[in-house]
This record gives sequence, structure tokens and C-alpha cells, in this order.
Amino acid sequence: MLMHTKEISHSRVVVLGSKGFVGSHIVHRLQQEKFEIFGISKNDINLLATEAETKLLKVLKPNDVLIIVSSIVPCKNAEMLVNNICMMQIICNVIKLISLSHIIYISSDAVYSDDLTLISEYSPAMPSSLHGMMHMCRELMLKQSINQIPLAILRPSVLYGNSDPHNSYGPNRFLRQIEKGEDINLFGEGEEKRDHVYIEDVAKVVSLVVRNQSTGVLNIATGHSHSFKEIAETIIQETASCNIIHFSKRNNSIVHRYFDISATYKAFPNFKYVAFKNGLRKIAQKHQIIA
Amino acid sequence: MLQPIIGFAGMSHLGINSAVATAERGFHTICFDEDTSLIKNLQNKELNITEPQLPELFSKNIELNRLQFSDDASQLYQCDIVYLSHDVPTNGQGMSNLEIIHSLIQKVCKNLSPNAILVVLCQVPPGFTRQLQKIIPLSRLYYQVETLIFGNAVNRALFPERFIVGTANVNMELNQTFQQLLLAFNCPILTMNYESAELAKISINCYLVANISVANMLSEICEKIGANWSQIVPALRLDKRIGQHSYIMPGLGIAGGNLERDITTILNIAAQYGTENSIAKAWLYNSRYRKSWVLKILHQKIFSQYDDPTLAILGLAYKENTNSTKNSPALALLENLKSYRLQVYDPVVDYVIVPWAVRKYSIEETISNADVLIIMTPWDAFKALTVNDLKKYMRGKMIIDPYHTLQGTNFTSAEFEYFTLGQGCLC
Repeated sequence: MLMHTKEISHSRVVVLGSKGFVGSHIVHRLQQEKFEIFGISKNDINLLATEAETKLLKVLKPNDVLIIVSSIVPCKNAEMLVNNICMMQIICNVIKLISLSHIIYISSDAVYSDDLTLISEYSPAMPSSLHGMMHMCRELMLKQSINQIPLAILRPSVLYGNSDPHNSYGPNRFLRQIEKGEDINLFGEGEEKRDHVYIEDVAKVVSLVVRNQSTGVLNIATGHSHSFKEIAETIIQETASCNIIHFSKRNNSIVHRYFDISATYKAFPNFKYVAFKNGLRKIAQKHQIIA
Repeated sequence: MLQPIIGFAGMSHLGINSAVATAERGFHTICFDEDTSLIKNLQNKELNITEPQLPELFSKNIELNRLQFSDDASQLYQCDIVYLSHDVPTNGQGMSNLEIIHSLIQKVCKNLSPNAILVVLCQVPPGFTRQLQKIIPLSRLYYQVETLIFGNAVNRALFPERFIVGTANVNMELNQTFQQLLLAFNCPILTMNYESAELAKISINCYLVANISVANMLSEICEKIGANWSQIVPALRLDKRIGQHSYIMPGLGIAGGNLERDITTILNIAAQYGTENSIAKAWLYNSRYRKSWVLKILHQKIFSQYDDPTLAILGLAYKENTNSTKNSPALALLENLKSYRLQVYDPVVDYVIVPWAVRKYSIEETISNADVLIIMTPWDAFKALTVNDLKKYMRGKMIIDPYHTLQGTNFTSAEFEYFTLGQGCLC
């Protein structure tokens, strides 16, 4: 649950990981809303490099809002886990020395166990993957380091949208396949349901959190889950594509994922998520593959 | 045998209803509370709680001189039996505050006659009563389970299903005077040790919550798969293992304070002794989840489609026939609708608690020009609303009626979208 501590922030907003898929959309949104933005990408400060702490300390100013997006994802092995923790260690060392006005950490719904089918902010964080464990560790590291600084932890569900560099199973990959004239391959019959969030909605939620200096935990999910088959069919329909959906033998059991987003309704009563079909349409338009 | 004089110390909901029922059974009853203004109001026949039958029986027994009120604890010296009858206050998390009870006990014990007995009627945690042996001999101390229901308290107090009495030693014979009082209610008397009786009270509430939670879980499935929970309920009630009176109607989370308090007490005891408590945690989780049922429908069906809708909300009390709003789902909902146009009406609740909503003085005035009607308390007065009324006064055609207050009306044929627990959208 999020609590709001004030309205309208006038502080400078520093986005750590500003060139990534999520970070770049946050920067774009906040710039549109006339926030003073300072973006830091891996090229500016490599958080795994020896001089990272000094560089970050030089850049941050008292009263800044810090949005932490920077991470090496998806975290697939122990080395990546350790590197991600080391990056957060640098951030924690620095925030102990500077009185920031607000910290926002972009975590992940992977902190919840894979067997949970209906998730809310009250669900226990019990990661089933290294990726989830990495985010959970980083959340805890931040909580221990912030002292009195307001901290908001945002846990987005699966994201889709323009300029996603990842090619993970779901809307982004399916759209690319359509664009290349390839057929869509589904695991099993694509029964698994997931809550897909349009990337610009993540940026909008972050903006609301900055404006309200919110603290606590909030999941970023639409409250509507769709099967991968529905997604593939919608994409084919929206793009009037002749491509075919292929089904394959299933190796794992079917696990669905739904979100109870009451906490979002309570935190931001006037915020509305982009409906999945509309989100897909927006991407397809960008890709110029809409029907 | 002379009729004993019965004292009640603590004039909250429990005390007033129990005292009125005792007076109605023919006993001279002395009611004490240290709140002078409350006692003055009661002496002037002014009640601050709403319960069916209470005003009539209250006035009747005052006129018959069987019911007397005082802020002077020394008046209790006349009593043969004194009930400790103040409801245990709880905070938002269901945690009990026993300070007021301890202070009341000190005051009462100083004013008990040497042979009088003290009966703890308030909702104390297991282990509480025996600790009072430092203040009063155990032979004069009893614990009695209260099972009043908000909205039906007088009836429950007058016609209890049974008395559950806790004693220091289960082999000890019940005090004769106490027996005389209990026998006047003509129901079984179950005696057990203090701890069992204290836990019996909590056990009853745990079973009620368990039933409600199961109904909540299954009714949500009904909403998704096209089943109708109200069609299933009669089948369950005819099963003797479930029963006619079981709590199997779905709701918007537990409210009123008493059930929440007992679950919290069980969780605390389980934590203290290291016993498994995940079921009780699940009840609380389910209750919190259900509280947002109406809010979710509003966001998914209304706010996503309409700009600036006017919402008419009927009912603020946590249930019908009471003015209690403790943990009321209506208040929880209104708390999250502050940025919307709200027209609110409740027959008995004081509106000061929702100053951001526009107060209305009748049902018709409340639903006038409303886009959505939400019935948050199933008051009888709301049941009389017809499709014609709604068509006449409302602007929109959306009804959210979690408790199915408007039974027997075919809203779908009148092109209304109607949402109720256990059935989902009838549209």
C-alpha cells in the first residue's frame, strides 16, 4: 500500500538507468510534465566500476528525487545476481551520505512466488527465481539504507511497449515475428494468463508517485489478465496478418497470474490503465503493421 | 426466595442491551457508568444506540422502576450480582484495549457488598478472569459468554440459546443467586472453567468467520463462472452439518469490531504459544480483499467509461438495524471516493463521519440524477425501491447492490446493469 506524504514535488529528479526500456519512458514522461530531469545511464556511471561511488556522490544533490531503474535483467545466474547486488551496494553507500527527498525503486512482480495466482501488495514476497530474489534483496538493502528518506517500491508485472530491447515470450516477441512475416509459436496452447502493462503506464504511475512523494509498495498491473493465445490472436487480428499460430508440446504445468489492484484504485483514484488492446494498437501503429 | 438485584457496570452496547433484557425478565436492575453525561441521557430516556425493540423495552422498564441508572458506583452495593458489561474497545487492527476494563473492575470491586458476586461479561482474552483473584475471591467470580448480535441484540439477550458460564473450578456448584437469575431465561446452562468459557466465546466467532470466508471465496467463483450463490445457499442450509442459521451469506469483509477482535486475540495467543495460525490469517486476508469489491466494480465498469459520474450511496452503518459504523464497508468505500460526486443517505448514522459527501435526507433525494446507485447497508427501508422509482429519479442505469437488497426485481429487463455478490453482473 502506498501512503502520500505531500503533493507536487519541485525537486530535481535523477533517473538511474535512464537509457533502458523502463528508464527512458520514465524520463520522457517526466520531461513532458516539466520536471527537472537528470538521467544517468551505464555509459555515464557504470555501477560495477571502481569509481562508481565517487561519481554518483558527485552527481547527486541534497533534496533530489532518485529513481532507481538500473539493473542487469533478466537475472539468470549467480554472477548476474552478485553484480546486481554490488550495483545496489554502491547506491546504498551513496544514499547514506546524501539527504535525498524521495527514493523510488523499480522492482518486479518476480518477488512474489510463481505459484501465487492472485497477487496484491499484501501477498508475501517469496521469490521463485534468482531474478525475483535479486529484486527482493535490493528492496531490503534500500530499506536498511534510507534512514528517514521516503521510499516507494514499485513492482511492475510483465511490460510491453515500443523500444523494448528484450525479446521475451509475449507481445513484444509476437509483434516482431509478425513484422518479419514469421508465424507465432506458443508453448502448449498458450493458455497461461498474465497481466501485461503498457510501458507508458509505468511512467505515469512513477510520475504520480513522484508528485505525491508516496511511500510503501505498489504493484503495477492492470487487473486484467490475458492468455498468450488471446494475445497472439489479437495481434494477428489487429495487424490483419496472414501469419499462423503454432502450438507446441508443453513441458511445464499451466500457471496463471492475476492481480488485485485495489491498492492502485485507492492510491490514485483517477488513474486509468491503457486497455491491452489499445496498448497493442499503439505499438502496432509505431511498427506500421496495423491493419 | 427473594428476587436478587442485578447490577451492570459499563453502559456501552453490551451493557444497555443486557440490562434491559434482565429488567424485562423481572429483575430490579441498577446500571452504572462513570460517564456522567451518558447516565444523564439514559435517565432522560435518551438512547445513543439503535437496536430493534430497545426503545420500547427501555422505556417500559424505566416506568416500572426496574431499570435505574447512576454514575455513582456506590449504588452497586445494593446488588447481589454485578455484571462487568462494558464492551472492550478495539483499535483499527482489532487489538483490545483492556485499560478501561481494569479501571472499571477496581471501581466495582470497591463497591461490592461482601456476599455479592462479580460476573465478567465483557469480551476479555483467555486467562483474564483468573487473574482477578488478586482483587476478588474466585468463589465470587464468574465469567459469562456474551453472544449479542448488532441489530438483533435485545432479542438475543432476552432469548439466549444457552448460557456459557466460566467458573474457577468446574466441580464447584454455581452460586444459588446466580442460578436463580440464569434460570429465569429458560435455556441450558453450560459450566466450564474460566479459560474454556473465555475461549468458547472466541471459538463461536471463529466458526462464524470461517463460514463467512468460505461463502466469500465460493461466491466470487460464482461471479466468474455464471453460477448463482443464492441458489446454492438453500441446498447448504438443508445440510444438517452446515445448518439453517449458519453464516453463509457473502459479505464485504467482516465488520463491527467483535469478530475482528477475536481473530486478533487468537492470532496473538497462537503467536505466544507457537501454534499454527495460518487459517485465521487467511480470514483476515479474505476480509480485507472483500472490502474492495464495490470499489473494483466502480473502477472497472464506471470510472473507466464515464467522466465525473454522480454516485448515490444508500447506507453507512456496517449492517442494518444498528448505528454502528465500526469497520463499515461503506466508510471504507467512501474513504476512497473523495474525488467523486457523492450523495449519501443513512436512516440513523451521523453524517459528520463523511463530511466530503453530500448529505441527503431521503432515498428519493439521494438517487435523484445519480448515474450509479450503491446500496451499502441492507436497511429494510431500501427494499421498497422499485424499477419505476429508479427510472423516475436516476440519470444512469447502474446498480451495485452487494447484499441483494432489491430482491425480486427484474432489473435486467428494465435495461439496468445490476451487480450483486455471488452473481456478478446481471445485465
